[in-house]
Amino acid sequence: MKFDMDYIAHHNELTETNPYLKLFLTIFLLVLTLALDNLYFDVFIFIVMSVVILAIAKINYRSYFKFLSIPMAFLVITCIFLMLFFGKGEVIYETGIFGIVITTDSLHYAVYTFMRVFGCLPCLGFLALTTPIAKILNCLRNMKVPRIMIEIALLMYNTIFIFLNEIDTMQKAQNTRLGYHSYWSSFKSLGALISTIFLRSLDKSETLQFALDSRGYTGELPVYEPRKKEN
Amino acid sequence: MHIMEGYLPLNWCIIWFVISIIVVAFGLYQIKKIVDETPESKALLAVSGAFMFVLSSLKLPSVTGSCSHPCGNGLGAALFGPAVTAVLATIVLIFQALLLAHGGLTTLGANIFSMGIVGPLVAWIVYKGLTKAGISSTIAIFFAAFLGDLLTYVATSFQLALAFPAPNFGAALTAFLTIFAVTQVPLAIGEGILTVIIWDRLKAYKPKLLDKLGALAPNEA
Repeated sequence: MKFDMDYIAHHNELTETNPYLKLFLTIFLLVLTLALDNLYFDVFIFIVMSVVILAIAKINYRSYFKFLSIPMAFLVITCIFLMLFFGKGEVIYETGIFGIVITTDSLHYAVYTFMRVFGCLPCLGFLALTTPIAKILNCLRNMKVPRIMIEIALLMYNTIFIFLNEIDTMQKAQNTRLGYHSYWSSFKSLGALISTIFLRSLDKSETLQFALDSRGYTGELPVYEPRKKEN
Repeated sequence: MHIMEGYLPLNWCIIWFVISIIVVAFGLYQIKKIVDETPESKALLAVSGAFMFVLSSLKLPSVTGSCSHPCGNGLGAALFGPAVTAVLATIVLIFQALLLAHGGLTTLGANIFSMGIVGPLVAWIVYKGLTKAGISSTIAIFFAAFLGDLLTYVATSFQLALAFPAPNFGAALTAFLTIFAVTQVPLAIGEGILTVIIWDRLKAYKPKLLDKLGALAPNEA
């Protein structure tokens, strides 16, 4: 399942925690990590946030590693790239290929960038893995982000999952008919898939509009916020 | 590829945020005008945004073996214009950061600038320019999607080169552009072809809608 992050956000120990707190804490920590740009602090924040995510929110460590793995892979590649092709100054290591060298400067860049992302990722993970999108949008609405943007975002969020199901069905149908057999046929299949989805989405938007209108939609979707359980 | 969380230093995060917020605010103003005139377009906008998001979860077949997803900003810009696309792209980027760990919150401004502003704007200018010049909309949409995709990565290279100007800005830009040219030109061509296939079917099935959005070439309308 592609969207297990959404599932996790709804099912963990911190789902019901005040979303404002989580949002502000995340933004504060992100800005702080970027502003300090200190290697030790990056490691510190990584450990603290990982502990919060794994021990307090009780999120499965496998899901958490999956969350980290893809950005981390990209990060390693880009930092190697930074290390090899950037910077001037003292040469500390010669690779011997095309005169590519690692200099003190480029090493500095690579290490600092790596550690910065290393520190920031768990902060993003904290928000993304513990807070459902609808709650974040609700916070943003109360923080005077333009209404229209929140409404569109909420409608969008509701539609995404319907689309994903349809795409899944269609892709399986195409696959069973060898739709992705060769390079060119996969282009054709993908084109057919996307245009069908687009045409369907137009119909869907009409239906959605009728449904909203018939329930007295005036440009606002009131969301039910359950009161906290008292115990 | 989005710039990932924490990749840019703080000062550049702030600069890109400020620039992007101005453009997105203008886009919101435009959307407000559209919605005030025709209230039923809100659902259309939302569904189109969801469509853009869903596109990014599909894999684009690519020659070089690296895989990427279509960004759909060429199509969006040709249909709705760049300002509206910028707003939709903003929401899409927030969702991508929070649902897919793709991109990030601190680099949101920079990503909006490259994916939501530069790409669609270029695509829109190319599309309008070519259709005005009497070229059929199918060919125009290819170049719009191709250049929109490519220029997105040129903008990303600029942003990265500005953030990491070593040994100097020019050399850094060349290095980033080389990497992106190698990996992205085939992908951009792929996106172009894909957009043409989509466009052809749209023209066959919903010509009235395209006409209503003002997206067809003058001689085809």
